Amino acid sequence: MKKIPILLALLFTAFFFFGCGKKDKADEIVIWHNMRPEETARLQKQLDAFMKINPGIKVLQLFKETEEMRSGFIVAAIAGQGPDLVYGPSDQVGPFVEIGIVKKLDEIFPPDYLKHFNKQALIYTNGHLWQIADKLGNHLTLVYNKKLVPVPPSTDEELIEIGKKLTIDKDGDGKIDQYGIVWNYTEPYFFVPFLTGHNGWVIDSNRHPTLNTPEMIAGLKFMRDLRDKYKIIPREADYNLADALFKEGRAGMMINGDWSWSSYGAAGIDYAIAPLPKITSTGKFCAPMISPKGYSINNKVQGEKLANVKKLIEYLNTPEQQLETALLTKTFPTREEAYNDPKLIADPILRNSKAQIELGIPLPIVTEMRAIWDAMRPPYQAVLGGSMTAENAAKQMQAEAEKKIAELREDISNPIEGIIIQVVLLAVVLVSIFMVRKSIVQFIRNLRKDSFAYIFAMPALLIMFAVIIYPFCYNIILSFSNMSLSHINNWTVIGFAQYIQVFKEPLFYQIFLKTIIWTVVNLFFHVTLGVFLALLLNKNLPGTPIFRTLLILPWAVPQYIVALTWRGMFNYEYGAINLVLNYLHLPAVAWLKSPTEAFISVIITNIWLGFPFMMIIALGALQSIPAELYEAADIDGAKWYHKLTQITIPLIKPVMVPAITLGVIWTFNNLNIVWLVSNAGEPSDQTHILVSFVYKAAFNLYRYGYAAAFSVVLFLILLLFGTTFLRKTKATESVY
Amino acid sequence: MNTKKYFINALTYLVLILFTLIALYPIINVFTISIRPGDKLLSTSLAIIPDNWTLRQYAELFVKRPFMLWIMNSAIISATVTLTGVALASTAGYALSRFQFVGKQSSMLALLTTQMFPATMLLLPMYIMLIKLHLINSYLGIIIIYSATALPFCVWQMKGYYDTIPYSLEESARIDGCNKWQAFYKIILPLATPALVITALFSFMTAWSEYIVAAQILQDTSLYTLPIGLKSFESNLSTEWGLYAAASLIVSVPVVVLFVVLSKWLVSGLTLGSVKG
Repeated sequence: MKKIPILLALLFTAFFFFGCGKKDKADEIVIWHNMRPEETARLQKQLDAFMKINPGIKVLQLFKETEEMRSGFIVAAIAGQGPDLVYGPSDQVGPFVEIGIVKKLDEIFPPDYLKHFNKQALIYTNGHLWQIADKLGNHLTLVYNKKLVPVPPSTDEELIEIGKKLTIDKDGDGKIDQYGIVWNYTEPYFFVPFLTGHNGWVIDSNRHPTLNTPEMIAGLKFMRDLRDKYKIIPREADYNLADALFKEGRAGMMINGDWSWSSYGAAGIDYAIAPLPKITSTGKFCAPMISPKGYSINNKVQGEKLANVKKLIEYLNTPEQQLETALLTKTFPTREEAYNDPKLIADPILRNSKAQIELGIPLPIVTEMRAIWDAMRPPYQAVLGGSMTAENAAKQMQAEAEKKIAELREDISNPIEGIIIQVVLLAVVLVSIFMVRKSIVQFIRNLRKDSFAYIFAMPALLIMFAVIIYPFCYNIILSFSNMSLSHINNWTVIGFAQYIQVFKEPLFYQIFLKTIIWTVVNLFFHVTLGVFLALLLNKNLPGTPIFRTLLILPWAVPQYIVALTWRGMFNYEYGAINLVLNYLHLPAVAWLKSPTEAFISVIITNIWLGFPFMMIIALGALQSIPAELYEAADIDGAKWYHKLTQITIPLIKPVMVPAITLGVIWTFNNLNIVWLVSNAGEPSDQTHILVSFVYKAAFNLYRYGYAAAFSVVLFLILLLFGTTFLRKTKATESVY
Repeated sequence: MNTKKYFINALTYLVLILFTLIALYPIINVFTISIRPGDKLLSTSLAIIPDNWTLRQYAELFVKRPFMLWIMNSAIISATVTLTGVALASTAGYALSRFQFVGKQSSMLALLTTQMFPATMLLLPMYIMLIKLHLINSYLGIIIIYSATALPFCVWQMKGYYDTIPYSLEESARIDGCNKWQAFYKIILPLATPALVITALFSFMTAWSEYIVAAQILQDTSLYTLPIGLKSFESNLSTEWGLYAAASLIVSVPVVVLFVVLSKWLVSGLTLGSVKG
């Protein structure tokens, strides 16, 4: 055991060995992008060719999921780091520009060069160019299965007619086996074509939402009728279910974007695409949003590196390169020379895609769009859920959008209160130092006497505090600040304004209650199931090791995919759970449709994920109980419940209490499961706990100061719980 | 009496089988996704072995993707975090369980408070801090953060377990001539193996499955860990579900193996009785 210090020494040497951070080199360009796999493969080929021509330059491409790329890039770029190039949809440019983390491209590329691009590909805002797109599209179209739909519908009437013919119950069991049309209709982005078809739009040129309109109401009603009146779409369909139905040939038509088409061919569907149909009553085509995708340059890029980055962008955007990319990935080029190339028109997929693009409407790149999507989603889903009329939904969308935009644009400043707060904070720090001065003196005095204890305790404590203390203080200060979209780089301390907003939030109390229910129910089942199973396993019957190993699997498998699998199991028509209920002659439950059931679904999933951990802890804890105690109890004629309450529970308590305390803290702050199973709070933002709520309502809208204040409140709630619970259970004291 | 015992054993098996089935079903679903052609997350069929099943996904992972590199990277990081976790938690837990010293109560509470802030809020300041320390794109930074994440639970858990071991054991050891350190590692530490196993498992899992911090800190593809690699199969609306599912199952294999290896000490650690004799 003398090896431990040597081991530690080795470890720390290893730390320094790994610890050589890399400097920013002029000849090493990093790109972040959100391309799909075949586009990434194409990009890598282009980069390899580029590096061959320019031997001194190294280019790295990294895939990031859209949301993560956006937040990750903001975090990194604020700190003066991050990739040199960021590639993504045009709407991410809005926040980047406002925060000031991307370069003005019109100062880098001459007009002579830019004039070769399609106008839609040059993303201007505030009078400057911020992004050069190499692909047009990201647009929805009608995809149809040629076997089922020989001629695609060109109007809504034809759509309904074909849809009715295709929606059939093949085996006569009362359940529909094939649908006319499917798509991810719970998401407002996929609803936009029906809004534009009814002549509506989401935002005006003054960045003001236009959601409470007769056009919106007509669009919502049309959508609802497709499902409830004409019955040509499934009762529930999210992206993955719609995808599965179409790939299995159980749906004649599908609405999906250019990113998805090739996967339908790969799944063996003989598919074709067509522009979305025309709405007869208005004479307008259902127009999807078109969003170009392209490159922006990180603000930190300077000098020689900038020249290299420019060279790379120019290389990737020659007409030849663009054309080849377009043909390979079925996307649309932006160079005028490539855009009209006959080779593109010869491809039926690209020809129809082009027709759709020309009918489409550019996605607004203003930051307000984020607030508009968030505002549209809940009422839209409520209309589909039957709990709101189209008229009320339109009204609520508008009101919510205006409220969220105001929040996004919030600009609080209060220098006087700010100074007062700074003085108060300083005073608090000084007073606390003064109050613990005796302890400090005692600490120093006892250092020698208790040196053994300190040597043992210090390394762990120091490493934790080193990591946590700076972020912790940073957050406290941030919670008193006005850091938001308007003040990302120049935030100041403003006082209690953010805290007041937290407590004024009407949803806070309701969601707080839900969070408590969530935590208590989860922990109750984690602990009871965990201890119960551990007791069974601890009997050491033959075969126990197999059960023990199989039972920890929910803990071992990555959460992301199992959570989504659970979401699939809760599906109304095809999910395993309803099929089991059906088999038992119980009524099917619309798990993900109504708030209570959705919340129960999330809890069930999390119980499943969490019980193995408690089981392992309990299994370990049971080993500390000497068998003699049970033998003695048997001699005294004790019943099993006496043994349980008199021996087992008191003796596993010291190990279980810390696990339970931390379990409560982790569960209280568990963002992932709620997010994944309820698809970010669906239906209608009703399935939230505090931490997912703050993530959606504040963090996503760049209200960092507010989010920090909210987190401090969460922290204080947990602190109060922690101290009370530990005092009540006396967990800090020894049992002997 | 015997029939009653048989009945209870049968019931035990029944309950264990039931829970095992519940535990396994979603994972079997993941397996089904991994061998289903056409990258479908969901299906309307409940068949466990889908039509036209294929192992192409598994082959692709190892042949076309740098999956082995990710496994190696994750293994290095997780092993280091596990060693750090076990070394530091076993000692700190012991100090907190056995000694009275100034700052003990408050450090124990402080340990808990480190877990109370929502992780997403700590990301930005943590990132800024690591940049200032030149720890971006290095394993040192990530190992320190993971150790700090895993330690609070491990320390508390070790402390709780030591608490169940009577003081008298060390006292008799001291009388027999052991010094403090010897009493710890010769007498107490072996008794605490079940808790050490839990500490090791937990530290390993913390490092093995963490994604958010890793994605922010490790930007160099050659440093990628498994969770970042896994995430790269996922693009916005066209995730490679087959690969993702196959990789998820393979990722859990080392955890299960580790558990199987360690469970020998988890469930048949030395009992107090045997020591007391």
